[in-house]
Amino acid sequence: MDVRNRFVASLAAISLLYAGSAWAGAITGSAHDFSGSNWSGGKICVACHAPHKSDTTVSDAPLWNHTHSSATYTLYSSATLKATISQPGGNSKLCLSCHDGTIAVDSFGGATGTTMVTSGNLGTDLKKSHPIGFTYDTALVTANGSLHDPETKTVTIGSGTQTRSGTLKSVLLYNGKMECGSCHDVHNTFTVGATGSGLVKLDQAGSKICLTCHDK
Amino acid sequence: MRPGAFVFVLVAALSLPLHAAPAGGVAATRHNLSTSGPGAVRATSETRICNFCHAPHNASPSAPLWNRRTSGSTYTPYTSSSARAGAGQPTGASLNCLSCHDGIIALGELLNGSGEISMSGGVTTMPTGTGKLGTDLSDDHPVSIAYNAALVAASGGELADPVTLTGKVRLDAAGRVQCTSCHDPHDDAQGKFLVMSNHASALCQTCHLKNYWNSSSHKLSGATWNGAGSDPWPHTAGTTVAANACENCHRPHSGGGAAWLLNSAAEEDNCKPCHTGNVAAKNVQAEFNKASIHPVALTTGVHDASEASLVARRHVECVDCHNPHASNTAGGTLPGSLAGVSGITIGGAEVMPSIAEYQICLRCHGDSPGKPAPKTTRQIAQGNVRLEFDTANPSYHPVAGPGKGGSVPSLMAPWTTASVIKCADCHNNNAGPSVGGSGPNGPHGSSYPSLLERRYATADFTTESESAYALCYKCHSRSVLLNSGTTVANNVHREHVVSQRTPCNVCHDPHGVNASQGNSTNNSRLINFDTAVVKPNSSGSLKWVKTGTGRGSCYMRCHGDDHSPEAY
Repeated sequence: MDVRNRFVASLAAISLLYAGSAWAGAITGSAHDFSGSNWSGGKICVACHAPHKSDTTVSDAPLWNHTHSSATYTLYSSATLKATISQPGGNSKLCLSCHDGTIAVDSFGGATGTTMVTSGNLGTDLKKSHPIGFTYDTALVTANGSLHDPETKTVTIGSGTQTRSGTLKSVLLYNGKMECGSCHDVHNTFTVGATGSGLVKLDQAGSKICLTCHDK
Repeated sequence: MRPGAFVFVLVAALSLPLHAAPAGGVAATRHNLSTSGPGAVRATSETRICNFCHAPHNASPSAPLWNRRTSGSTYTPYTSSSARAGAGQPTGASLNCLSCHDGIIALGELLNGSGEISMSGGVTTMPTGTGKLGTDLSDDHPVSIAYNAALVAASGGELADPVTLTGKVRLDAAGRVQCTSCHDPHDDAQGKFLVMSNHASALCQTCHLKNYWNSSSHKLSGATWNGAGSDPWPHTAGTTVAANACENCHRPHSGGGAAWLLNSAAEEDNCKPCHTGNVAAKNVQAEFNKASIHPVALTTGVHDASEASLVARRHVECVDCHNPHASNTAGGTLPGSLAGVSGITIGGAEVMPSIAEYQICLRCHGDSPGKPAPKTTRQIAQGNVRLEFDTANPSYHPVAGPGKGGSVPSLMAPWTTASVIKCADCHNNNAGPSVGGSGPNGPHGSSYPSLLERRYATADFTTESESAYALCYKCHSRSVLLNSGTTVANNVHREHVVSQRTPCNVCHDPHGVNASQGNSTNNSRLINFDTAVVKPNSSGSLKWVKTGTGRGSCYMRCHGDDHSPEAY
């Protein structure tokens, strides 16, 4: 094999590998694939979504099917926190309907289940977790002093065919706010990290997931 | 294509995006303990950086989302007699830092995660080095102390008002000094993770405002190390005295002298590295090898920065006479080298700062207890130098004020009867500038007894010469004293000093005679006999009686000759 052919062969091998990982970019087989649970009837999405008669009481709730939590949460606080934190809303409220540990994962579609979340049970004490539900804007960047500006800093998440690029605000924030979904890729759309890595949107290597916002 | 070549290309292509070296920030510091970290201490396979300290969920303490447990150790806090802030156990951010830096918890042991992270080289806890503070924090700058108006007031104005700490150096939300007041764990741009450059001790001086400091040579001197001996500044990058500033003598962590955070435990060893002629021009250290010295090396830990002006426990250290925050090159009656030092007035009161050199000497040589007995046994015994020089005395050398001699014909210019002299005019380096030598000025050490600048023979039957009484002849003309043709010169001085070989010291008490013990009839002219030489006469009388100017009568027995009396 001459040098040129060797190069082409190498390229082919690499693209195959990247393409392979792109194909795996799916909720199937992820921690949020509920098809294997005996209560799901083999359905992947049913715990969260329903095509009809969905719950619209929470804004931003996409065809919501899961019972909401009525918990009042203890909020994150710190002496150096500049953001204003309030009770979770938006898509974080949806996540907490399972992950605060007060509502069973199989409580959906009006039924009351019994299977509590086992992995990622944050409880109602959110003081121990990264704050969510706060506006992350240029003003916050100025006040904090060690954050990247979400209006100008750009980020790319995912790879191959599943890629999104843009400012932090456009890619990671929801209505300009940091929510659970800012870090977590709930549908495993972008397949960042291996199974068990917490369905993250950005690579943990080099703590990119932290340092994309935190200018440390 | 060989299989090896294919693997190489594949690995190279894949590793690039995964292992691109993080640029700047915490990733470029030794606090990046992941595989991409720049330091020697890093993980074998963990690629995450922030998780060594922080966790997004299940953190404790919750702020700042901490991912480490504390060791639960009881720490030994900093203490000193002059510290006004009671340092207790570390709290807040400092406790977080100690979750690695006390050297007890493994670096890879985190609250969240799947087991302890393995570190390269078999490292578990913080390796021995400057970063490992241990649980003994007594040699570290105090942390977790309340820095408030009360502390500022207690410092006597030597601490900045906490409301001014709005720049790089900050207190925590509870107004406490923490590790994070000086260190930014995420930014090592200044070295040592300092929040700002400590060049010229700028960081230290954000809080510490030492009296006199702005005119001190230790702040201003551009002197550099000549390369001889050991490095005077082993723990800083500064290359001049001014660049090192506070750190010429102090270090915030792990100094040899815990209290006052001094570089060395032995007080004088903090001065020695520079004052050997290797940085400072003069070699003061060598002075202490002489026969008569202020014995600075004799004691360690007796001197106390908060001791009273009047020294209660006998000792001498460089800082008893010199204030390293104040010393400067100014000349004058009280030279800059003695600036900002406390003292005792001739009346016995504390004074700060001293305005005359003798006030500093009186810290130890006046009312201070435990003084050695005077070297000469005199008719009127007095070991308190303050009482000897009191200006109410019938006679005294004019240290605390002009003398009472009225007429002193032997005085040489520029000295007059209105002159005031200093202790160091007699007690000084035998090879210093005052004798034309190149050594340092001041009473550090002398080859002559009693730390005298020149020879002052006190042994009976000393043959008179220019050199035997060089000290006296410095101011008092030898020719006038011995050969001016007066009765005093002929019958008293020449007869006794030259013919009978009697030292000046036998009849004259060079310091003075206290008013409570002597009087102007018997003790003018510093007359106070050495009773080892001068004995009572055949009538049992031992005295000198002043009978007029240049006139007197002596009642005594000397060298076997009975004076009953001898008048002149």
